[in-house]
Amino acid sequence: MLDKALFELPGIKRILIALAVFAAFEALVILGLAWGLSSAVTNLWLGHPTTEQLLWIVLFFLSFVGIQIVRYAKDKMLDTYAFERADELRQDLMHSIFSRGSSLVQEQGSGTTTTLLLEGIEQVEIYLRLVLSKMVRLFVIPFFLLIPIFILDWVSGIIMLLIFPFVILYMVILGRFAGEKATKQHKEFKRLANHFVDTLRGIDTLKFFGLSKKQGDSIYAVSERYRGATIKTLRVAILSSSVLDLFATLSVAAVAIMLGLRLLDESIILFPALTVLILAPEYFKTIREFAADFHASLDGKNSLASIQKILLKTEESEDASVDALLNDSRHLLWSESSELAVNDLSYLYDEFEAVSKVSFAVLGPVKVGIIGASGAGKSSLIHLLGGFSLASEGSICINNTELTGANREEWQQQLAYLPQNPYIFHATLSENISFYHPGATEEEVLQAAQVVGLQDLIDELPEGLNTKIGEGARPLSGGQAQRVALARICLDKKRSVLLFDEPTAHLDIETELELKQKMLPLMQDKLVLFATHRLHWMHDMDLIIVLDEGRIVESGTLEELQKSSSTFASFVSKLGGGAA
Amino acid sequence: MSKDAVYKTQHDAQQDAKDTAQNQVSAKKAGAKRTRIGVKRWITPFFKQYRGSLALALFLGVLTFVFAAALMFSSGYLISKAAEAPDNIMVIFLPVALVRIFGVGKPLLHYLERLVSHDWILRMTSKMRLGLYTVLEKDAIFFKKRYKTGDILGLLAEDIGHIQNLYLRSIFPTIVAWALYVLVIIALGFFSLWFALYMALLLAVIVFLVPLVSVLINGARQTRRKVMKNDLYEQVTDNVLGVNDWIVSGRSSEYVQAYQGSEKALRKVDSLLNTSTRRRDLILQVLFACVIISLLLWAGEEFGGSRAGIANWIAAFVLGFFPLIDAFAPLSAASIETNKYRDSIDRLGDLPSNNINEELFQGALQAPFVIECKQASFMFHDGINNVLDELDLTIQAGEKLAVLGRSGSGKSTLATLLRGDLTPTKGSITLNGIDSSKLGDSISDYVGVIQQQTYLFNTTLAENLRIGNSSATDEELWDALEQVGLSYLVNRLPDGLDTLVDEAGLRFSGGERHRIALARVLLHKVPIVILDEPTVGLDPVTEQALLNTFFTTMKDKTIIMITHHLQGVSCMDKVIFIEDGKLTLSGSPEELAKTNPFYQRLQAFDRGEY
Repeated sequence: MLDKALFELPGIKRILIALAVFAAFEALVILGLAWGLSSAVTNLWLGHPTTEQLLWIVLFFLSFVGIQIVRYAKDKMLDTYAFERADELRQDLMHSIFSRGSSLVQEQGSGTTTTLLLEGIEQVEIYLRLVLSKMVRLFVIPFFLLIPIFILDWVSGIIMLLIFPFVILYMVILGRFAGEKATKQHKEFKRLANHFVDTLRGIDTLKFFGLSKKQGDSIYAVSERYRGATIKTLRVAILSSSVLDLFATLSVAAVAIMLGLRLLDESIILFPALTVLILAPEYFKTIREFAADFHASLDGKNSLASIQKILLKTEESEDASVDALLNDSRHLLWSESSELAVNDLSYLYDEFEAVSKVSFAVLGPVKVGIIGASGAGKSSLIHLLGGFSLASEGSICINNTELTGANREEWQQQLAYLPQNPYIFHATLSENISFYHPGATEEEVLQAAQVVGLQDLIDELPEGLNTKIGEGARPLSGGQAQRVALARICLDKKRSVLLFDEPTAHLDIETELELKQKMLPLMQDKLVLFATHRLHWMHDMDLIIVLDEGRIVESGTLEELQKSSSTFASFVSKLGGGAA
Repeated sequence: MSKDAVYKTQHDAQQDAKDTAQNQVSAKKAGAKRTRIGVKRWITPFFKQYRGSLALALFLGVLTFVFAAALMFSSGYLISKAAEAPDNIMVIFLPVALVRIFGVGKPLLHYLERLVSHDWILRMTSKMRLGLYTVLEKDAIFFKKRYKTGDILGLLAEDIGHIQNLYLRSIFPTIVAWALYVLVIIALGFFSLWFALYMALLLAVIVFLVPLVSVLINGARQTRRKVMKNDLYEQVTDNVLGVNDWIVSGRSSEYVQAYQGSEKALRKVDSLLNTSTRRRDLILQVLFACVIISLLLWAGEEFGGSRAGIANWIAAFVLGFFPLIDAFAPLSAASIETNKYRDSIDRLGDLPSNNINEELFQGALQAPFVIECKQASFMFHDGINNVLDELDLTIQAGEKLAVLGRSGSGKSTLATLLRGDLTPTKGSITLNGIDSSKLGDSISDYVGVIQQQTYLFNTTLAENLRIGNSSATDEELWDALEQVGLSYLVNRLPDGLDTLVDEAGLRFSGGERHRIALARVLLHKVPIVILDEPTVGLDPVTEQALLNTFFTTMKDKTIIMITHHLQGVSCMDKVIFIEDGKLTLSGSPEELAKTNPFYQRLQAFDRGEY
């Protein structure tokens, strides 16, 4: 249950010491409580008048409330500490996401990245709040309570001391075996529960086959069958926490009975017996608290581990690029006479070479078409060329300067990137268009919008350019989104390198035709790297690269490729009846 | 400039927060009503189910605490009695026995209580799942389309899980605590009416007033936090998806700063919540101290005055209350937690209620199958324009029809109307003279659909294929796979037909999924198949190969292919173009290629000649 990652957190020693002091204080006030209360009760039992017990009652009251005051202070300290650590993690993670870009998001999945940032860090925060205090209390409070118990009645002390290692041993066994089993069962339970979601997601498919009504009965039947399985799981899962419960109550009962029997033969008197009886539940409470919130702790522990893994990877990739800092990044400036050279470029994705030993070179504003079937490595190559992911082997050189993690920002400042689904931010249309160039005036934005054919959309929107668009507001069609992305490029004329990643693949042919007319003028006098499987674009390219399984199988001008009995030609012929 | 932009974003966030706060006030009443509807549909009816085990669960819950209190009560009495040092050991026989019973009984009861309550909850879950499924099934085709973004179905399934928690963590503990409250008061009433009344008031502060006040104070804060967190979620999802754009724009640091600003704002609310929770716990502790001291003073007066004897009860009463703190203290947290589940209840409550079943056509249609649209118009309830506008179209048996149009032109709606999942607002759409919407589920005997995304259920390949025909033999399955060109691939899989389709590393590609969908349709043996943009996102080589398979395997069937580009169109008998719900162009592809300039232009463009 102890997590090594915890001890590497900054300031952890200070916090652990502070927690130990708090726990000692807490033990002390618990003692005060027991002393005050049992004195009062003993005196009353002896027949003393109630009015004489004021002092003891005040002691009890102050101690009882004191427990909460100590916890108050401790929680406040932990709250701040946990937040600070979480905040640091958050900043580091944000830094990672925005420096490693889509390669990280792809690796993790966009959902996971978001969840990690928002839920994961919160879980870590809760984890820190819970686990540190529980850990320290487990070792401090029982120990501090045992001392007075031994002084008051060593027999009870021995009973409680002997039970302690048993409970710890039990929890270790629980952690090792039962925990493992419970996790396995938990997984099984999840898998079973997924059946329901699976059916819901495929509900239209069922309907198409006329099966949806019948499936309702099966949902109920399956759900009931799972209930049986789940209850079996729970019998074990609940049992483990109930055993702890049993340990605690039985020990209290045992202490009470032992005390009773020894009071009979007058080997002890009421006051110490009562004090011990009040302290006993408190003694076991700390142990039981330690075992509680198992799942919340587990979630936090796992999140902490996955965040640290990402951070470590980012650090590595940044370390690797530090020595490249010496290079003068001004060389990366792209001009009419610049050269882009790709040498033996490879990229590993999941142990598999998505891009394999790709080499080519271009000089000045050239239009390069990159074609190939799905999975040929077109997108990966575009990501490498944009510096969104870093090569596993080989290099990309601009004007003989290698593109690295350290200088890629300079390169990226000159890029315009147009993916298959350009991202439309939840902001106004105008803000979306001026994304690369936030200083643009309204006229400039409007002009750019008109150039790419967005006037119709502007007229349609209730507040024109100032209407909020994107997810959750007004969604745009695929064609409209592409136009907005084009307008971005149009607005910021400084960007002289265009990266296109299948920008028209999913558009209807009429929209594609209109967009092509808008795109061609924008591509003039720029370095264009254009990945697509729509072959009609090839007529406008100066150089065509044909990719297959990550390798360049052919390259040349359209005429050259058409002449040869090439892969390109066979690619075209496979399209058969419909096109080309 | 960039600095301004950051301030602007932060300012916007504050403004947004203000706006939402204002909206909340005005929307509060509507919201409360919404929640009431949700509760009425998804919470209260279930209390009436399996009343026996529900009552047992609650009874055991109460009894657990009664035993816990009784353990300390009898222990306190036991040692007081024993301290009298009576000569006869038999005097403490009964208390010793009770301590043993309660000591063993309490954990046992607790164990049973948790089992029974979970069992009840899981029974309810089965019912709720069935309920949810029935509601969604009515509207299955649409539901997914209406909520295109986000995984609404996953969300709804989770909501049921949340309601489970609502029962276990809020409703049950609250009922148990209230029952204990009543029991404590009644028990004290046997000894002293006035003291019972006094304790009723004091405990009422703990059991009712403090939870109520904390809901009043923190409920709004918690709602605000939830709104902020949701906004943050949207914002982050948005920007993580657009991360490359941020990087290329060179403005990432700007966003990172703005994000930190939002997180700080959230932290402020969190701090307020945490502080008030700590204060509440402190106040509760003071109240509990008052309860214990009151018990002590009352017991001292009632039973004290002389040594031992009835004074043995003093320790019993005082110690007996301690375990009850565990029942009363979490009440405030439990009542605040209900806020968390409100969204789930609202979301489930918003689902359409089951509508009345229309009268359906009973009986079987005979081949040949002809589809006819006569002056068919369609408009969504909330729409302004017709999605389809007075469409006339006849599709003969065995005809191959391509429907082209821009996205949003109404071509997908046409598919839904043909299958009868929607009813035309005006005009009619019929299959052999019967309104397709009147055919109900039996339409699936005549019309099959292959969608843009083929859904494969998380089970074996064979089970997925048998959705087409549950009685299909293995040979028939292999035959279908052979036809769609997958038999080679499936043969190579170690588990063959029994391969789990989603097992890691064995995911089928888009093209292969469509082939599986086709195999299902072939097994289903329908005369008419609608292809609803099935090749979007495939590369042209894969696409053409898939289309060839479609056309060869289904050459005897009517095919209605909805598409947005020209690939495969030349193999069809007829092409129609739909724009703004109207039929703008119609004819055979050869004819159009010869005579229609618009079509010629598109063709030329597709070949790259334009």
